[in-house]
Amino acid sequence: MTLSRRTILKNGAAGALAAATPGTRRAHAASNTKIMNAVMQGDLRSFDPIWTTANISAYYGAMVYDTLFATDANFQPQPQMVGKWGLSEDKRTYTFALRDGLLWHDGTPVTAADCVASIRRWAVRNSGGQMMMEYVTDLSARDDKTFILALKQPFGLTVPAFAATSTPDCFMMPKKAAETDPFQQITSHIGSGPFTFNEKETRPGSRYVFDRFTKYVPRPEPPSGFAGGKVVKLDRVVWQNITDDQTALAALESGEIDFFELPPLDLLPQLQSNPDIKVRVLDPSGNCGMMRLNWLHPPFNNVKARQAMLYLTNQADILKATFGNPKYYHEIDSIFGYQTPMANGANSAWFKSAPDPAKAKQLFKESGYGGEKVIVLQATDFDFMNNSAQLIAGWLKEIGVNAELAASTWGGVITRRAVMAPDDKGGWDIFITYGPGYDWNNPITMVALGCNGRKGWFGWPENAGYETLRRQWALVSTLAERQAIAQKMQTIAWNVVPQVMLGQWVSPVAMRSNVHGIIGMPDIIPFWNVTKT
Amino acid sequence: MAAYTLRRLGSTVVVMLLVGIFVFALLHIAPGDPAAIIAGDNATPAEIASIRQQLGLADPLSVQFVRWFWHLLHGNFGISIFSDTPVITLIGQRVPATLSLTVLTIAFAVIVAVAAGVFAAWRAGGVLDGSLMGFAALGFSTPVFVVGYFLIYFFSIRLRWLPVQGYVPLSHGLWPWLSHLILPTIALGLAYVALIARITRASMLEVLAEDYIRTARAKGASTEAILFRHALKNAGVPIVTVIGIGVALLVSGVVVTETVFNIPGIGRLAVDAITNRDYPIIQGVMVIFSGAYVIINLLVDLTYTLIDPRVRY
Repeated sequence: MTLSRRTILKNGAAGALAAATPGTRRAHAASNTKIMNAVMQGDLRSFDPIWTTANISAYYGAMVYDTLFATDANFQPQPQMVGKWGLSEDKRTYTFALRDGLLWHDGTPVTAADCVASIRRWAVRNSGGQMMMEYVTDLSARDDKTFILALKQPFGLTVPAFAATSTPDCFMMPKKAAETDPFQQITSHIGSGPFTFNEKETRPGSRYVFDRFTKYVPRPEPPSGFAGGKVVKLDRVVWQNITDDQTALAALESGEIDFFELPPLDLLPQLQSNPDIKVRVLDPSGNCGMMRLNWLHPPFNNVKARQAMLYLTNQADILKATFGNPKYYHEIDSIFGYQTPMANGANSAWFKSAPDPAKAKQLFKESGYGGEKVIVLQATDFDFMNNSAQLIAGWLKEIGVNAELAASTWGGVITRRAVMAPDDKGGWDIFITYGPGYDWNNPITMVALGCNGRKGWFGWPENAGYETLRRQWALVSTLAERQAIAQKMQTIAWNVVPQVMLGQWVSPVAMRSNVHGIIGMPDIIPFWNVTKT
Repeated sequence: MAAYTLRRLGSTVVVMLLVGIFVFALLHIAPGDPAAIIAGDNATPAEIASIRQQLGLADPLSVQFVRWFWHLLHGNFGISIFSDTPVITLIGQRVPATLSLTVLTIAFAVIVAVAAGVFAAWRAGGVLDGSLMGFAALGFSTPVFVVGYFLIYFFSIRLRWLPVQGYVPLSHGLWPWLSHLILPTIALGLAYVALIARITRASMLEVLAEDYIRTARAKGASTEAILFRHALKNAGVPIVTVIGIGVALLVSGVVVTETVFNIPGIGRLAVDAITNRDYPIIQGVMVIFSGAYVIINLLVDLTYTLIDPRVRY
């Protein structure tokens, strides 16, 4: 045998050395300061932000489309596409004039007729819009740039609804696209927003590419929240769909991506120790968790059993189980979320004594609970839902309630929660979910704040008095009036218990240290005014 | 052999159809509703029902099945529920990445494993043999994602030699393409290196003990000639068999590897479709994977005739 071990080792070493020579070594690419690579909250599954309420589609909408009004940093609506506007003395007729220079991405001018068609399509899908249209007597273009909206009676939410970021948002689309059935997806990507969607470079499920719209004319005012001048300082934004958190984290550390919207909380210390990365809470309103109770069947068709859940729930344990660090979460006593303008302390005595399992047990007994099964839907693929379901089922068992976990993916939960039948026919009793923190401020657009029975959201709570107040809330004009109504609504809510709140938490984002100017507002993360140095 | 090949290709179509029917039934039995996912969390039951109606998901299952099957018979895999794009287009977009990864992995695994197996057999019982087989045992027992994360940490974050994730088409240059595939190839290929190396070693040991090897040595044949010309060719059938099995098993590894390294391939497409309950994509990918699996096995069977002239069909 003439082939020696030494020869093999020598050749192997030479190969390894060759692989590591500077010529083949990958220089860490200097990051392009005009291109932003971002990993957002999820995959962009639909390109129609009116057709779906999915948040990521609203993110897409904010890039590609523009809005008539936008919310400023003080949560006040400010004109965006609208230039001059006015309200008649009787507060029943709005006149809106579009500002100069607005163009669709195909170069044609934005017209009032486009906006009228867009409002009509949006109003079919948005609960605030639906309510507004009940009062509208005329919505039509007066000329190319002016349109009017006439009402039977004053509707104080008109302009705030145009500016709101509760999905679906009121995005303006070309008339042809806006005339699509609101229950059918549009196929166009033509907007008038500060970014164009680059279909050619986009790979669905993998990456989505947005380019600066060079003909976009920003407002002259300085930026404030989503309002003011939308000045695009990047040439391109690429949303990379990296589904594995660990990989996204490594990509951020290596500089391959610049922004990571939802880094896992348990890995934040690792990121915070890296000087090239900064961790920020962009949206202090965060998210609020809730436990929905099925009002249609025993035991939660009885108000005592629902009240029992208020006393049984230990928000601190639920929040700690998922979010760990108290810096990122708060317990809440208001049905209107955490520190929103509508949040209040009315009728929240339960909050001061909860958890009180003995009281919960007594209330279950008073409800006439007879040992029937209580099905708790457990979405195992979301930590918050998974952990909360297990804790709640455990607490129920401790007080003698026959709780049973029904484990599935979130996809399974959202299918089953729509079933109105009793447990033995595929129904349910409890499911857990959450909603954007600031959305809890608006009982019209936040579906979980309705009490309109079978026409409403899952759990189907029903209370006529509450619903009357909800309608009044939309009609009044001032913040003080709305806050007063909100207190009355909450008084009813905590008596009848449409749901149990499970606390509020924030989700910090992580970005490279050279990224500046990301807008810190609820619901949407747009990339105008953002720079990379 | 032509008749045999045609018969096997015919059976491929049957297998693809059976897999399609099975996957269709399984998907619709499993909980989940794409309409509810599309509609978003704020949607009301009426809105979800409306979307279900538009997508044809409100039709009886038998109607949905006949519609899908009829389209499949015409080579139409349907339209993605979410992206509203033909499934065949989506699969076509993902093929280059998956093909690049699998071809490189097979090449890497075969070259490294056969060489390691041959050398281990050549030095059977020695340090080289022990080291190579120890390494093989480690490679075979370490999950792909563990290897993947380790490689990312060491080569991408610490040394910064290679990118963490992503895929660049070959048309953008050889090095950009290759640099994005080196780590995934190693992560995915390691288990197959281990498997093929162990089979190669065992098969070579058997052949190296044959009389004709002793004769070749006596005639003064070089070590290279003995190992690679005389022994390896005759040890080939089991090696080709295990390579074939390994290639077929790559499918599961590809799914994990594409997720860990964020490669937009067919594996990722399938995983995302399962999460979203995008039925047409799942069905299309499974049908194509099953066809590929049968064809790979056919190719392995045909390769036997090249290695061993005694094999006839």
